[in-house]
Amino acid sequence: MKKFSQLAIPYIVWAALMILLPLLLIILYAFTKPGNEFIQFSLTLEHFAKFFTDPDFLLVLWRSLVIAFKTTLICGVLGYPVAYFIARSNDRVRNILILAITLPMWINMLVRTYAWIGLLSDGGILQKLLGLLGFGEPKLLYTEGAVLLGMVYNFIPFMILQINTSLCKLDHSLLEASADLGADRFQTFWRVVFPLSLPGVVSGITLVFLPAVSSFFIPKLLGGGQYFLIGNVIENQFITVGEWNFGSAISLIMVMVMMLSMYAVRRLDRSGGREEDRL
Amino acid sequence: MEPKKLIQFRNIVKEFDGQIVLKGVNLDICENEFVTLLGPSGCGKTTLLRILGGFLEATEGQVIFDGQDIAGVPPYKRELNTVFQKYALFPHMNVYQNIAFGLKIKKMSKDVIQQKVMKMLKLIGMEGYEDKNVTLLSGGQQQRVAIARALVNEPKVLLLDEPLGALDLKLRKEMQYELKRIQQEVGITFVYVTHDQEEALTMSDKIVVMKDGEICQVGSPLEIYNEPANRYVANFIGESNILPAVMVEDYKVRFDDITFDCVDHGFRPNEKVDVVIRPEDIDIVEPDKGKLTGEVLSVLFKGVHYEVIVETVPGTTVTVKMHVIGNRDVTSQNGKEKISANDFYVDIEDLDQLDEKEIVARSDAQAWNPETDEYISISHIDCKLEKKLGSYPVTFSTSSGTSVQRTIFVVNQPFVRNEKANEAVMAFNFFKAVDEIKESVALDTDLKTWASAQAWKLTDENESVDISVDYDFDDENIQEGVYNITFSTTGREFKIHTTDYVEEGREVGLTFFPEDIHVMEKMVF
Repeated sequence: MKKFSQLAIPYIVWAALMILLPLLLIILYAFTKPGNEFIQFSLTLEHFAKFFTDPDFLLVLWRSLVIAFKTTLICGVLGYPVAYFIARSNDRVRNILILAITLPMWINMLVRTYAWIGLLSDGGILQKLLGLLGFGEPKLLYTEGAVLLGMVYNFIPFMILQINTSLCKLDHSLLEASADLGADRFQTFWRVVFPLSLPGVVSGITLVFLPAVSSFFIPKLLGGGQYFLIGNVIENQFITVGEWNFGSAISLIMVMVMMLSMYAVRRLDRSGGREEDRL
Repeated sequence: MEPKKLIQFRNIVKEFDGQIVLKGVNLDICENEFVTLLGPSGCGKTTLLRILGGFLEATEGQVIFDGQDIAGVPPYKRELNTVFQKYALFPHMNVYQNIAFGLKIKKMSKDVIQQKVMKMLKLIGMEGYEDKNVTLLSGGQQQRVAIARALVNEPKVLLLDEPLGALDLKLRKEMQYELKRIQQEVGITFVYVTHDQEEALTMSDKIVVMKDGEICQVGSPLEIYNEPANRYVANFIGESNILPAVMVEDYKVRFDDITFDCVDHGFRPNEKVDVVIRPEDIDIVEPDKGKLTGEVLSVLFKGVHYEVIVETVPGTTVTVKMHVIGNRDVTSQNGKEKISANDFYVDIEDLDQLDEKEIVARSDAQAWNPETDEYISISHIDCKLEKKLGSYPVTFSTSSGTSVQRTIFVVNQPFVRNEKANEAVMAFNFFKAVDEIKESVALDTDLKTWASAQAWKLTDENESVDISVDYDFDDENIQEGVYNITFSTTGREFKIHTTDYVEEGREVGLTFFPEDIHVMEKMVF
């Protein structure tokens, strides 16, 4: 055992250098004034005050949360039936479908998002197609819809795979028991299958909501300049404006928001599993 | 009044991927009956239950429930409930919610549900457990909840699929009484699947013994126990002495050369039959008062009674000498080859069959390279055998000239005839090296092979008889020398259950009443 645990040392060193240290630096930056000497720090809370008093920043934060929520909801509603279908297929079909879902993930996310620019752009194939079908020629790229589409497209596999895993683990005899006790398929689904698949739904939500709320290149590429999210603000602070301290503060606020939302989801799961209308 | 037939299976056939699991089953189940489907795993009992539950569809045949064919009726519309093998309780609900499940589906009002669930909790003796997490209950408690969850729906029939299989012995006994009590209290039909004959005898009103997708016998526990239809049922239910016999005429049966009175009739004259005598129906008496006499082989105390084994017809025995010799490998001059072989005995009548292959096999001749352990083929065998008793030298050699000389003893081996038991036994003396005995992984089997031990029926030479081996050396630490090995057949042994102690080795008489002899038809395979 001891010999094996030594194998973890390189990773621990790596993690300390590449994850822990930057995080500590972000915390340090968030609470200090810009332009510090290397040794001398002056602590401040002014970055947090700046963020919470400026309605523009708050609006961007709100917008990010809303779009992440919409993405998660769509992923859940579209992904659950797919996961259910996959779980009920036989082994061969299941393997093919899982492969079909994971296959696009082998290509870099950025490349795939660029592909959408081509599809959605003015005079692009989708706009032409809608025109032919008599919907006029609506603007597709650089809208909230485009951003939402990009997010759902990129993150839905995580939702499907998580739910599928929890559905596959379901004991078949529970379904027989439910049918035996008089429940038809619909009742069996809502009273047995769905409550027991909630853990998968929750981890699916985690895997979709977190990257969605902090994503910055999808809104940048598909939303253009029009559709600014919190990830873009942070990126700007670091790269364009050069306000590293303020950027760090916003990052820290984001971390807190995400932790809070995950806590809320987990609470929901724990009560959700047991709840099931107690008489 | 005839009890009403609630369930009728009509010629049920079930096929899975071309394999026939049920071969046309016909069975009636009446109201308020506790029916047990009994059989070993793979006999189709669970399949039959699942067809009744609606989880499987019969390939052919009809299931008639309460006068109606229920083929195609989905499980949730059938008026029966199931207790599953592994309970299948819903892990996300507590005890109360599990039991209330079926009632909630039926949209009953809350107070009615409350009332019914509480009544069930009382029936299964688990009041106060309603808020408990089902995954944290013990096996027996989960079992009770599963029964309550099924019974609360007031089904006409309760199906139970080996429900006690996962419980330990003591709990299983308790639950047997519990189940019988619940069945009598609620007064509905129970269809119970098990492979445990004791469970079946304890609880059932009717037992259905199944084998390979067919029903062997249907009857009350007493009928099944006392009048088993054939050897299979007799063996499966309780302990028994089963012997081949001949039905001389009505009320006369003959086995072990003695004709006995019995109560069975209706067989053809001289029909071959099987006879069952239950161990507790045989009494041990003085030798001159017994219908059979024999020697007490063993006495085992079983708690309430002694299990006595009495041998009425002794087995046939033959003893041979095993010559254990040191290792006598011959090494070639360059040290690259080793060769070994044993002397052996052969019956003069078998001399014709003794070709080179057979000589190599009987003498265990082998040659190998001591460095690489690779086998080298024996290319030449030199021996001149005559069809006369005596000893003949034989030489084995490899292509590079390494050779070893051994002896073949041609003998006229007498075999032991046992007219009374209608059998004969034969075995040869043999030679073995110390290492060969130490390296044997299945010594009993090897000894039989080495001695060419065999036993057969005098009336039919092709019918072989099982033999056992007896020896008194320690094979781990065997030394060179000569050892006796005894091969014997079993003879006729009776198992007797009695509360009186008898001494091992005593001569005793055995007696039984004509009605204790149960004559069964020979099984056709």
